[in-house]
Amino acid sequence: MSSKIIIIATIIFLIVSFSVLFVIETKNHDYDYKKSWSVVYFENPRDNSLDFTIENHEGEKSEYNYEISIDEKKISDNKIEIEKGAVQKIYPIIDLEKSARVTIEVTADDLKYRIYKNIQ
Amino acid sequence: MILDLTKLVLTLPFVFVLPGFFLLLAIFGWKSASGGSKISFFEKAALAVPMSVIAVDFLVLALNRLRIFLNGPVLIGAIIAFSLLCYIVFQWRFGKKAKAKDKKEEDAAQNFFDFSYWQAIFILLSLFLAIFMRTTYLSDTIVPSSTDLGHHMFWVQKIVDAGSLPDYGMPDFIIGEHIIFAVINLLSGASPMGAMPAIVLLLLNIIGIFTLSILAGRVFRNPKTAAMIFFVTGVLYAINAPQGKYVSGGVVGNIIGNMLIPVALYFLYRALSEKDSVFAGLFLFSAAGLLFTHHLSAFILIYSVAAIVLAYLALNFTKSFKIVGGWFRIFLKPFPIAVFLLVIFYFLFVFTPSYFNPEAVAQATGEPTKITRFGLGLDQLETNAGSARLILGTFGFALFFLAARRKEYKFSFALSWAIVLLLMSWKPGWLYVNIPSDRIGNYLFLPFSLLAAFGIVELMKLFRKSSTNFFSTALLFILLFFAITDGLSDSAEAFKSRPQFQEAMQTFHSADYLAEKLDSSQDILLKDHVNIYGDSWYKLFFMKDYKYPLSRGNLSRYADPTKPRETCTRDMISEPDSLEGQACFSETGVNYVALNAQLEGNSFEKYPDFSKIYSSNYLSIFKRNIQ
Repeated sequence: MSSKIIIIATIIFLIVSFSVLFVIETKNHDYDYKKSWSVVYFENPRDNSLDFTIENHEGEKSEYNYEISIDEKKISDNKIEIEKGAVQKIYPIIDLEKSARVTIEVTADDLKYRIYKNIQ
Repeated sequence: MILDLTKLVLTLPFVFVLPGFFLLLAIFGWKSASGGSKISFFEKAALAVPMSVIAVDFLVLALNRLRIFLNGPVLIGAIIAFSLLCYIVFQWRFGKKAKAKDKKEEDAAQNFFDFSYWQAIFILLSLFLAIFMRTTYLSDTIVPSSTDLGHHMFWVQKIVDAGSLPDYGMPDFIIGEHIIFAVINLLSGASPMGAMPAIVLLLLNIIGIFTLSILAGRVFRNPKTAAMIFFVTGVLYAINAPQGKYVSGGVVGNIIGNMLIPVALYFLYRALSEKDSVFAGLFLFSAAGLLFTHHLSAFILIYSVAAIVLAYLALNFTKSFKIVGGWFRIFLKPFPIAVFLLVIFYFLFVFTPSYFNPEAVAQATGEPTKITRFGLGLDQLETNAGSARLILGTFGFALFFLAARRKEYKFSFALSWAIVLLLMSWKPGWLYVNIPSDRIGNYLFLPFSLLAAFGIVELMKLFRKSSTNFFSTALLFILLFFAITDGLSDSAEAFKSRPQFQEAMQTFHSADYLAEKLDSSQDILLKDHVNIYGDSWYKLFFMKDYKYPLSRGNLSRYADPTKPRETCTRDMISEPDSLEGQACFSETGVNYVALNAQLEGNSFEKYPDFSKIYSSNYLSIFKRNIQ
């Protein structure tokens, strides 16, 4: 009889354990749950397009400031508010007459993200 | 989430209990059937999972050989058909013989593992602690991130995507490590990139405690020792390798091997000590399951069996011819011969494990060739087995050596197993073992748990006999205090680390971005394994090739005195501007590099050849402009 109790109890322990682990993993396998980070990236890394995206995973609505520079010379400066967990695409329109490095610097509070392309 | 969890929880017994249960039913019958006396309920419950693992492996191998596309309905059908077939065999063999059995003999076997009230409480408490500690530890690492698990899950996903088994093209992976995960995914939909792999490994790890327990129970013929195994293996060093850390680390082969080695030895012990050909057949079956699952564990089993057999012959030297003749009489019976032929058929015509070639065997045997294979020092042995377990095991060894009859099988099983593993870890050159010693050392816990459990039980007896003696009481408490504090210290250390879920999710985000934006037929990606957490999971986003994307490995791997290693993956990150780095970029065609943002990610910005296309708190991705 004791063997059966041990086996049944083990099954119960394991089901509880698996359920806890499954729920923890599912909740944490999320870009926003209990996390605080942001990301900036070019939409089309394979060409010369300067379209870029900011994703807010800071856990709250945040204001981002983005500057666009050509060869270190600032040409535009804008602010944008992004909801928690939201993705914001931005389509800058820039005329380039010669090869240059175009840099996009995004800041929010004390965070700074920089992406750039060397446009031929 | 609830539906997904329910599907997973229902799939696990379908895959890991049903086939094994019916297989054991066909072989041993039900409680009241004629074969029921051979094996108790507790043993059946402990063996159902390993038998299922092997049965499912063999079923899938056969389906694959028949070129049947592996998907959910096919696997459900195969498992049900196999179980039904076993049930028909059970009815045919045992259906009408139920009343023919000697009731007394049957009850004796059924009651062998019928633990007393306090033993049951002790086991339940140990199991609760074992599962609780592992679960608590895993809850901080449950988001998939470990390197080994990432590599294994790539192959699992390959099976799921292709509906057939892969050709690895390398001896590092064995099919049995991946089949069960693919089956669970195909039946429940639980992703390899979720909690499923760790949950399956945790299940097998806990079942491994049960299999060691039934081996201990039979060898020492004492349920107390079987009960003590739950404490020695389940609670002490619950997190250390090869327990909780191997579960979270995805060391699949070892976890399954640690479950199957005691099963194979359990069947062998019962086959030889009871002169029973059914157990002999099951020994061959479980050893074959191990051969299809993990080469190192199979290697350990072969050495262990050789040591046990040779020790027994040496201790019974005058009767050795008679003994060998007796073994032939056990193994040359229809059931073991049928199993043996089935295994040979599988090896030759169904699926040959990728490591099964003379070159791989030659690499593992012979004089040690690297410093890591020359053997472990005593301090390393202590770390591998655990101080308390090693001391208690040594104590158990000495007691058993003095107390047991040397001509009995249990003497050879308990002691030779410990001696051969100790020698393989400590002085591998003596046994022509050419395998990293620390990997062998991870198996030491198996025989030493057995002996430590025996040692504690005997210590308790000594204490009881002299309970009025103050010093014996003090000694017992000091020893147990040491065992518990040392055995739990690893758990305390492990809980100090913080979860790295945020880093893992940023790694996944960057991989997802690259998989979407890159053309993997043209673009070559290099990532930094040294400084990116969970980077091995990158390949699951591309599912292109096992070696895609390229990876800068741990720096020590580039310095190999035995053979030249490629260094491009290192140089392209460490010195991208150097002549070597530039030549490597041209040679490999690498045009994207993923780096830790805080380390090389910052320094890479100074190189004019690169554009930075992605920037998060944790990761930076660069694109090389010059082709």
